[in-house]
Amino acid sequence: MSDNQQFFRDTAERILADRLEQKHIVAAESRVLPGELFATLAENGIFLMLVPEEQGGIGASVAEALAILKPAGSAAAPGPLLETMLGNGLLAQAGVAPVEGTIALAFVGADELAGAVTLHDVGWGGLADHVLVVADDAGRARLTLSAGADWLATPGEGAAGEPSDRLSAPSLPGASAVLDAAGSYADALRRAALLRAGQQLGAIEWSFTRSIDYTGERSQFGKPIAKFQVIQQMLAELAGHVLAASTLLDAAAVGLSETLVAAAISRVGDAADSAIAICHQVHGAIGYSKEYALNYRTRRLMAWRADFGGVEYWRGALARGFITATREQFWPAVSDAGLQGAA
Amino acid sequence: MSAANLRLDLPDMPEAAAQLRLDVRAFIDEERKAGRLPPPERVGLGFSQEMTKRIAARGWIGLTWPKKYGGQERSALERYVVTEELLAAAVPVGAHWVADRQSGPVLLKFGTEEQRQEYLPRIVAGECGFCIGMSEPESGSDLASLKSRAQKVDGGWKINGRKIWTTNAHRVHYMIALVRTSVVEGARHAGISQLIIDLQAPGVTISPIISMAGEHDFNEVLLEDVFVPDKALIGQEGNGWNQVSAELAYERSGPERWLSSFRLIAELIDVLGPDARPSSQEELGRLLSHLLALRQLSMSVASMIQQGQTPNLEAAIVKDLGTKFEQEAVRVVRNIVSAENLTAHGRADRLKALLIHAQQYSPAFTIRGGTNEILRGIIAKGIGLR
Repeated sequence: MSDNQQFFRDTAERILADRLEQKHIVAAESRVLPGELFATLAENGIFLMLVPEEQGGIGASVAEALAILKPAGSAAAPGPLLETMLGNGLLAQAGVAPVEGTIALAFVGADELAGAVTLHDVGWGGLADHVLVVADDAGRARLTLSAGADWLATPGEGAAGEPSDRLSAPSLPGASAVLDAAGSYADALRRAALLRAGQQLGAIEWSFTRSIDYTGERSQFGKPIAKFQVIQQMLAELAGHVLAASTLLDAAAVGLSETLVAAAISRVGDAADSAIAICHQVHGAIGYSKEYALNYRTRRLMAWRADFGGVEYWRGALARGFITATREQFWPAVSDAGLQGAA
Repeated sequence: MSAANLRLDLPDMPEAAAQLRLDVRAFIDEERKAGRLPPPERVGLGFSQEMTKRIAARGWIGLTWPKKYGGQERSALERYVVTEELLAAAVPVGAHWVADRQSGPVLLKFGTEEQRQEYLPRIVAGECGFCIGMSEPESGSDLASLKSRAQKVDGGWKINGRKIWTTNAHRVHYMIALVRTSVVEGARHAGISQLIIDLQAPGVTISPIISMAGEHDFNEVLLEDVFVPDKALIGQEGNGWNQVSAELAYERSGPERWLSSFRLIAELIDVLGPDARPSSQEELGRLLSHLLALRQLSMSVASMIQQGQTPNLEAAIVKDLGTKFEQEAVRVVRNIVSAENLTAHGRADRLKALLIHAQQYSPAFTIRGGTNEILRGIIAKGIGLR
């Protein structure tokens, strides 16, 4: 981890420790944004992470943004944190100044924007200050920035209990801009999904560590359950998922190759599935109670794996990059996929 | 333990590795053009003394070893590049595999100067191969319960016992055997030593064990009053357990743990086109994500070895994940072949043959070189559970 990444991680951990309590996480399920947390993140420039310095931002890399989002996932931080951070980054790419307040993101096909518009499952859509619609316009990303108040919101919620709303308007409100040539729709979606995978990894690591600790605290049959081989085997299996997912995610964040990002999202998806199953099994009944902190991570994993394409979409995308290769082209394609250290 | 401790740094690949990779690919191209490397119809490491000689001629055996023993003093990451290129192309490397990966490094770390002089240059030249004498009929996962005994006699040791699952014992020249040289009450890991046995020596009887995949790779090796001289002892008498533990990071983290079934996936990719149904593409994509993750892990562990670390926890994880991946690969390929009807009516005969063999071979992936349950015990210890 670079010094910069370490700095951003420490900053995020400090802010989260100071400004996020369990009551805020619970309140988010009643559509209350953790306001103090978001104000402090804004004061510290976190929402300008992906805005270049010459446009008044921090000019951080995706790897550095992940250094913020992993601890946020670990802390089960609610709210459109990723969306506001990336939304400002996308706006900057299109030459638009960053906005104050929160951003909700909606990825859609351009054909969905003709006439009366309905956006489905928009995280924090009814509560965000701004709505940024990212439309796939023949491969280019067309951005339309509008005020949250321009939309009629029908509240809904996802698996984590956070708002996931339907937004409608008689016609697409707001002003549009097109990303420059370097910014395709696929690039924008890829970055969103990779950052979401970072949040997932944080939640996975928290659940893994908590489960290890719990097996030392909980005794049955006269000894800590950590001493049972069956428990050890399950957590050893999860350790493999954690190591594989985190290593591939780190590698993907460096080069942002299409192949590697898709692979990292898929691999984190498997780690998430395994973490949900194993951490709950290890915890037994207590982990199933709403009061115990585990479910605030595992329900986020359930929600997050479906966002920004969803894990299955990225698996298909990954396969399509290889499927036309011949038997002898396959290995070079694997070894040139952009892995770190691969010469 | 916190998950933050479970993290691998991304490796810095030396500049020379890129050229080396191209050199190995050029060699593989030549071998293919000369008809010496047909696409395989079986999984697992092939064995060819002639191929080993040709690889040796390029200087790719003992690549990291000191020049005075014939090596090239290149980095572990460069060795990693050579091995993954050879394995991905299914080059039969079995004749030097164990010696290059394990026996040579053990001699470098624990052997005497005389032993190094005697064996290393011959390994580098592709002239002598080794096998590993660890498992016994009554000592599998519980290796420390081994019963083969070496009794001190004038000028050497007299060995009696039985080793089993000894890969290539019938084709290579030496075994490094793990035997009991003394009994220390209450300390089962003590009193174990490593000895080099010439497989041509009187008293050595090698019998084949045919696997369920129809192969003769394994053997049972009976040792009856086999004499080895004092100079056959590796390292310290009684320190064998520690020495063996030091080998395991080499044995467990290498690309052979996830590349055995690579050709099977390559054959599938060859046959499969963009019209494959979405469910097949999703399954394939998931498999590829595991392949890419394993490759990144394997490179990172090679980098740790290069830095002089002994990443036993990480290596155990790579082997656990890699061998599970290999079984998963067989299952996924089988499912896609079935769903897409790829091998019906005489189509894709090679894929069909390879898939049959891979299915027969697949139970071995998670057993050979230490079962996954034993590995997970090691991982559990590493994360603080025992």
